[in-house]
Amino acid sequence: MSLLLQGLALGVLTGGLYALLASGLSLYFGVMRVVMVAHPAFLFLAAYLAYTMHTAFAADPFLTLPVTVPVFFALGVAVQRLLLARLAPDNLAMMSVLLTFGIALTIEGLLGTVYTGSYKSISMDYATRSLTVGGVHLPYDKIIAFLVAAITLAALFAVLIRSRFGQALRATIQHREAARLVGIHTERVAGYGFGVGLATAAVGGTVLALITPFLPASHWAWIGKLMAIIVVGGLGSVAGAALAAVVLGVVEGLVLVTIDATWATMMFYVFLFLTLLVRPQGFFGGRLAHRF
Amino acid sequence: MALVLKGLAILTICSLGLAACAKTDEPGATQQQAGQPPGPVRIGISLPLTGDFAEPGKGIQEGYQVWADRVNAKGGLLGRKVELIFRDDASDPNRVSSDYESLITQDKVNLVFGPFSSRLVIPAAKVAESYGMLFVEPAGAAKEVFEQGFTRLFYAAPAIASDHYNYLADHIARLPAGQRPKTAAYASLDDPFAQGTAYGLRDRLAAAGVRTVVDEVYPPETTDFAPIAAKIAAAKPDIVVGGTQFEDSVGLVRALQELKVQPKLAAFSTGPTLAEFPAAVKGAAEHIVSPVGWSARSGFPGNDEMVRRYREMFRGEANEDAANGYTVGQIVEAAVNAVKCAEPTKECQDELARHIRQGTFDTVVGPLSFDDKGRPEQAHMIQQYVDGKVEIVLPEGSKAQTAKLVYPKKEW
Repeated sequence: MSLLLQGLALGVLTGGLYALLASGLSLYFGVMRVVMVAHPAFLFLAAYLAYTMHTAFAADPFLTLPVTVPVFFALGVAVQRLLLARLAPDNLAMMSVLLTFGIALTIEGLLGTVYTGSYKSISMDYATRSLTVGGVHLPYDKIIAFLVAAITLAALFAVLIRSRFGQALRATIQHREAARLVGIHTERVAGYGFGVGLATAAVGGTVLALITPFLPASHWAWIGKLMAIIVVGGLGSVAGAALAAVVLGVVEGLVLVTIDATWATMMFYVFLFLTLLVRPQGFFGGRLAHRF
Repeated sequence: MALVLKGLAILTICSLGLAACAKTDEPGATQQQAGQPPGPVRIGISLPLTGDFAEPGKGIQEGYQVWADRVNAKGGLLGRKVELIFRDDASDPNRVSSDYESLITQDKVNLVFGPFSSRLVIPAAKVAESYGMLFVEPAGAAKEVFEQGFTRLFYAAPAIASDHYNYLADHIARLPAGQRPKTAAYASLDDPFAQGTAYGLRDRLAAAGVRTVVDEVYPPETTDFAPIAAKIAAAKPDIVVGGTQFEDSVGLVRALQELKVQPKLAAFSTGPTLAEFPAAVKGAAEHIVSPVGWSARSGFPGNDEMVRRYREMFRGEANEDAANGYTVGQIVEAAVNAVKCAEPTKECQDELARHIRQGTFDTVVGPLSFDDKGRPEQAHMIQQYVDGKVEIVLPEGSKAQTAKLVYPKKEW
């Protein structure tokens, strides 16, 4: 019983991290209908930048965020305006996979050149301790990851719901033509939307750097998992992705402690298939997938 | 999703096409006309220089280069200069096959050396076998490698995966009954090599009466080790064994600390033998044991020279991967010098393979000999972090031993 509780607690914490990592992917799909294969590569780019700050200035990795978040935002706007916006609209989904695959390979190659292929890791003092509540151990690094994810997602939702930019962004996601009719510069908004998506990668990557060692090729392991989360959540729905992430995190944690790790990893794909069979638009998401 | 798959399929085809175009046609580089002085001995090698195995791939490459440098400095192989031709297979089993195919048929190399990791050695060895080429390899230790019916494959390291922990298993079995651990937990990466090491120890300890309380296998995509550690924590084992590579060894150590598992002995494959390990786990490295096939201070003949030459060429310290690459070179060198041929012909390659099968070879990892399947017949040393330094603790009484095994370990 306590093992189940432990699995559940770890699942919730990990699910929160997944939600943060997947939120950007969902945004890109929402605003642009593009499949951004390079998102995990950007996560690890951020992880490496945090590593550099940590080793060069002995700074807490989170102190890199004031630098990396704006840089990644600008990078996202640039990628959208200079590259993705130029793709022919009629086969955007497929061409965007090719383009972002190329970006992912470029980032991996650059990281390999600058940092070599050996493993890097950031280990803070709090990374190996845990809080014990009623026999259940909650690792501090996972708690921190969960809190950072919660804060980031809350800020993201506040922007999406409260701000004028958020309204314009949601309008662009829901119906681009109509949004343009009411005077929204959908091109510019899409660019900013992409920037926001990449800014979440800056945060996600920094958190990831605390939790796991990484090498330039690490991003491949994450593409499948994150894609499964946003499909289950409903393509384009940030809230759906967040919910799906927590659900899948919990399922993974519970299956891991009761059955084994191979089944736990497979759960992502089992859920992906079930979603595509039963409810292709996703369990929590909007109607985007229909039109796609 | 279908579009994504289609996109990926197109990408794969494109990259294959590119690889095929990138090949240069060097007209008959090795075809010798009678009466002309023989050209260099060209050795074809495909290695994972990018992708998952980029780091060990580079280590092996450096080992090969150090070996070639030494041979050339002494006048070459049979008086001919050695020339290494490297291909990058990007850790991809399909690429590794086409690499060896083209090295043998297009570049017409005289000899081939093996790639890194069992996963790439098997497809590569199939190609070499089909052309009748000798295939000495530095890193294919999984038992599957030796079950394919290869007749010209030799693994140039002290032991196959399942024998890596033999000295440790023997040591534990010899402990007085009161001190002997009673339970053990195993967590292993789903990889033929990593699993082989952990299961080798598991089977020997089970035979010695140590009960297996957790036996977990996780896929390579695993990024979260806390739930696995939770299972281990619930079983409270005396020994924790990880059949690991690198990131999972760090992930497991961290997760075990977080879940307050305090075993009397912790053994992990590969990870702790890499220089990045102590920094990645901070103070927790103390008293962790690992099998290791090579030591910089072992004093085996030629070892000091290799370490020195490596330092001159790469301004760093040699590691086990480099030593394994170097060992491949040493074995083939000894065979070529004994048989006095280095041609890609069937007769010559058969002769080389026959020589290696019957002999014992002095290498930087110690004297090596092989059984009829190409398995090495020796065992790995056991290393342990003692006071923050890597010490060789087993086998007891060998000249490589630098400290005594600390058991039980201190808490992490």
